Amino acid sequence: MPRRNSRSKSKSKSKSKSKFKRFSEKRRCRFTRMGVEFIDWKDVVTLQRLSTGQGKILGRKRSGTSASFQRKLSTAIKRARFMALLPYVGG
Amino acid sequence: MYPYEGMFLLDSGAFAEDGEALEKKLRGLLEKHGAEITQLEQWDERRLAYEIKGHKRGVYLLGYLRMPGQNVAELRGDLALQEWYIRGLFVRLDRDIPAFLEANAKYYDRVREDATERRPRREDEAVPVPATKDAPQTEASDAP
Repeated sequence: MPRRNSRSKSKSKSKSKSKFKRFSEKRRCRFTRMGVEFIDWKDVVTLQRLSTGQGKILGRKRSGTSASFQRKLSTAIKRARFMALLPYVGG
Repeated sequence: MYPYEGMFLLDSGAFAEDGEALEKKLRGLLEKHGAEITQLEQWDERRLAYEIKGHKRGVYLLGYLRMPGQNVAELRGDLALQEWYIRGLFVRLDRDIPAFLEANAKYYDRVREDATERRPRREDEAVPVPATKDAPQTEASDAP
């Protein structure tokens, strides 16, 4: 069976891929993008950015953080809370 | 012997009276429990995010040390008996201290780069002055 519109198909595919690539690059996890190995629990400014005004940890859907870094982030925030660098509740 | 990162929260009033003596006492306690101290210095003095034992402010000392794992619990117990000691945290490092310090410096470089890259500057906006301190920012000091 002869292929029909194979050229146009591939063209549209490549176009959509580039769009997807752009989109995915923008949405990538900030720690993956930075190329860091761990999250420092003493980095209060970054940890504050990834928690709400009430002190809750931002979810992955909202922050775009990858699963492995979300686990590290959670540990880091809990350590910072214990040392009274961040509040447990309230801003 | 394992590498540890230790942060100690001390009473700011007692530290203001004689900080060096307190640092010496802390060093003495650490060494008594077999710790080899690589680095111990004041990290910051700030308002606490919440009140602990009636303290609203505190001085943070940050140390890097190697010590036997079984001594950490005893050390914690000894520290808890001191009047000037509020709270502390020991984190066992996954690598040796020099390698960790290097990785930590790299981490803060990347964080600083990312912060400047994320917000494209307008043409009329002034160029920011680069931060001189390697220590993390202390924005949280104003937090209640």
